Amino acid sequence: MTRFTKLAGAVSGLAIMLGATWAQAEVLFWSTQARPVEEAQAMRDNVLKGFEGGVDYQPNEDGPWLTRLQAELEAGSGSIGVLGGLHGSFSAMNPDDLVDLDDLGVVSSSETYNTLAKLGTDHLQYVPWMQASYIMAANKQALQYLPAGADINALSYDQLIEWTANVEAATGEKKFGFPAGEKGLKHRFFQGYLYPSYTNGVVRTFASDEAVVAWEKFRELWSHTNPASTNFANMQEQLLNGDAWIVFDHTSRLAQAFNERPDDFVAFPAPAGPKGRGFMPVLVGMAIPRTAPDLDAAKALVSYMLKPETQIATLKATNFFPVVNVELPADVPPAVKAAGDAVAIMSASPDANPGLLPAGLGDKGGDFSRVYVDTFERIILAGQDIRSVLDDQKAVLAKIMQDSGAPCWAPDAPSEGACPVE
Amino acid sequence: MTPVTTAAPRAATKAPARRVYAASVLLLSVWVLGPIYLLFVNTLSSPEAVNSFPKSFIPQFDLGSLAFFAKFDGMLAALGNSVIVAAMTMVMSIAIGAPAGYALSRFEFRGKELFRLLILLTRAFPLPLLALPLAVLFIRTGLDDTTFGLALVHTTLAIPFAVLITFSLFSGIPIELEEAAWTLGCTRLTAFTKVVLPLILPGITASAIFAFVISWNEVFAAAVLTIENRTLTAFLLQKLGDAPIHLKFAGGFILVTPALIFIFAVRKYLFAMWGIANR
Repeated sequence: MTRFTKLAGAVSGLAIMLGATWAQAEVLFWSTQARPVEEAQAMRDNVLKGFEGGVDYQPNEDGPWLTRLQAELEAGSGSIGVLGGLHGSFSAMNPDDLVDLDDLGVVSSSETYNTLAKLGTDHLQYVPWMQASYIMAANKQALQYLPAGADINALSYDQLIEWTANVEAATGEKKFGFPAGEKGLKHRFFQGYLYPSYTNGVVRTFASDEAVVAWEKFRELWSHTNPASTNFANMQEQLLNGDAWIVFDHTSRLAQAFNERPDDFVAFPAPAGPKGRGFMPVLVGMAIPRTAPDLDAAKALVSYMLKPETQIATLKATNFFPVVNVELPADVPPAVKAAGDAVAIMSASPDANPGLLPAGLGDKGGDFSRVYVDTFERIILAGQDIRSVLDDQKAVLAKIMQDSGAPCWAPDAPSEGACPVE
Repeated sequence: MTPVTTAAPRAATKAPARRVYAASVLLLSVWVLGPIYLLFVNTLSSPEAVNSFPKSFIPQFDLGSLAFFAKFDGMLAALGNSVIVAAMTMVMSIAIGAPAGYALSRFEFRGKELFRLLILLTRAFPLPLLALPLAVLFIRTGLDDTTFGLALVHTTLAIPFAVLITFSLFSGIPIELEEAAWTLGCTRLTAFTKVVLPLILPGITASAIFAFVISWNEVFAAAVLTIENRTLTAFLLQKLGDAPIHLKFAGGFILVTPALIFIFAVRKYLFAMWGIANR
């Protein structure tokens, strides 16, 4: 037993030595964003170092993030100082659990965002922190197969389908990549891109005849899509390893491809349908839970994060764009440059049809997205009849809207009370 | 892996049988070593090589991915916490599990069947379900964010294994051995410490290894119940999910290596246990 005892002794000695070196009293920044190791490290080293008093930046998966927060709220005391999360994460919370932030005097430069951040109350529940969007990206090898006369910065869905078909004809491989994996953000494509582009709505027009056309088109696109897409979640990986040449994804989930091989890829706007070029922002915010141990330090950290220089540092660290007006420096990473240009062209295009994030769904946000994912799986993966699937799912969606009482958001026409599914 | 050590070929065995035996040994080894080798190769490859295809099976000894983790804040502290929690889990699960295993194997008592069922039931509830009430309780009692609190949770997870393993071990040791010791002047306690304990030490080691691995691999409770005192798994795994693929490999390598070293260090006792079990 001696060797084992020795080993145990050595191990526990090492452990005690390592465990003893802990600093305390920093503000705990509990975030679901900037989770990839490199981004988390950049947040600590380049963004948060400048904050007096120190910040302990801890990114987490959504599950532990929420569970921990709920536990602290229920126990009535906690260690989380500042929360970082998507608009959807905050809108699922009880606004009473978040400290009102009106007196901070810092807000984003977008009135729309500031209104969203009130979560339906009269006070600011979270402060917009950074934003992003979804765009398209392609390997430059694919450009030669663009349909004749197509402008990559003003593609239509028909041209995109033709393009992917050309690539398949030329290479013998399906090279369109779609983040349809378990962790992929496919539902945002349907909610913010496909539906607005074809039906000028998301909820009202869910089962309309235009929606049937939209799904037919997507089915066509899917026939040229890499079938392994049901495993894809970060399209930068498939861009880099060549499994996909043309992809759709979140800007920060494409960033690594542009940063590693900036000369090999192009970023461009999402395609347009009959009802315009639908696209959707991603909004990330910061909030302070009512159990924050040091309210003043937490508020100071939120203010610090909205300073122009911090916002630029955040942009470089995470590839998420500022929410306040800042002058972008010349030395931004290639991914930021590429994505920034694509988003700018997208929002400035004459047929732009910007949508808003789903709002007012409360804790039904997950169920809402589930409807679109289920519809996708039934129509595209299981090959069921489009009309009957939409009629089925319509009832589910209508119930979610009824239960949450959420009014319509753009591009759906405004509603009195809960947004109806027509 | 057990058949490997037990099915020793007899001298009389014909060549085809030996070939089947060799093939199954090879298959089992590749089954275990293949993925670990790939992990190793990709950890020591540059990001470009990891993303390229076809893949090389010879590492290029590019230390970029590992160097990234070397300067990652809090890595060492998290490693230390993992070791502390795993060690406490080992000690506590044996201290609680072994007497329970002894009692189950040696004594008849009311509710024995129910007790055995209850022990298994501790594994019936998924941790994500238990984590919220546990965290609330821990915050209220001050156990929150301590390695001891987390070790308690991991001990609960490890106890069923400790009880079941020690139960079968004690059952394998004839009570006559103890009775003989009693007739020779031992008390119940000294008979246990002088006769039974040496015989089952290897088994205890085995359940300690189980406890260690369970604690080492557990993520959800560690992520919710600790903040400053993160374990390595919680610390890395939370971040690896969205990491670029070459860092996923490196992170996986860092998570696997200490557990492998530990198991390698105690393998002697493990093999000894199989000797007992096969008697």
